[in-house]
Amino acid sequence: MTHRPAFRRFAFAFGAAFAVFYVIALAKNLALFTVYPSFGLVIWGTHLSHDVVDPALGFLAPAMYWYGWAATAALGASVVGLLAAALPAWWARRIWLGWLWVIPVAAMLGCVYLTLPWFSLDP
Amino acid sequence: MDRTIVATVLVIVHGLVAVALLGAITHQTLSAWASAGARPGSFFGRFRSVPSAAFTKGIIFLYTVTAALGAVVYLYFRVDIRPALEQANRWELLGFFDLKEHFIAIGLALLPAYFVCWRQPREASTRTRTALTSLLAFIVWWSFLVGHVLNNIRGFGE
Repeated sequence: MTHRPAFRRFAFAFGAAFAVFYVIALAKNLALFTVYPSFGLVIWGTHLSHDVVDPALGFLAPAMYWYGWAATAALGASVVGLLAAALPAWWARRIWLGWLWVIPVAAMLGCVYLTLPWFSLDP
Repeated sequence: MDRTIVATVLVIVHGLVAVALLGAITHQTLSAWASAGARPGSFFGRFRSVPSAAFTKGIIFLYTVTAALGAVVYLYFRVDIRPALEQANRWELLGFFDLKEHFIAIGLALLPAYFVCWRQPREASTRTRTALTSLLAFIVWWSFLVGHVLNNIRGFGE
């Protein structure tokens, strides 16, 4: 069973682009929406807890950005994927297939770097 | 139904589906890496005798279900578990957990490419297929171990 080349190009571009956009969203805190699980509230864009409640009570309203970061990355990656699907096949063949795993690995290392502050907090 | 019971049931189902995923992706990864000259009847020989591609759809299904259940459980974790870990100054655990979430999201986006690689008979994509499968296996193992340890330290229903 083979796939349509356009879907193949979309899938490959989407996977690699998502990893890039995800690290950018994480680094810049670009969440498409923010979730407040305590209130069952979803707000468009990136909101910090002290934007929603009194700063001193921020801990009562924990904000979650992970869903929003993933949505931001999915949106960006979908655009890149659609562009890749529209490209002529000969152009796509010139791209090294290895980028498909090299880029996500680099993005994962980027995530590790951005998470390092957690490990330097005093126990 | 009680909130704690719902969270506990969800995390148990999440864990069980993750075990199935762990087995499938480990099997496929080992068979992808196993030498073609593995002695028939040997451990790796038996791995290779099972058609690896047959696992692909199952792995995609299990990964998606595990990630979806994890995304729901994460809401409970953020409200009920994480504050306790913060108060206990277990920052390194929260760091490991955040990495788990990041890796899972990246892995989820790779599933369409992973599907194409395993269904694509082109010889040129064999190396990419093996690398991609290994990457997903790493993500699944990392997530399973971090989730398991974290649940042992401060799970639901306590």
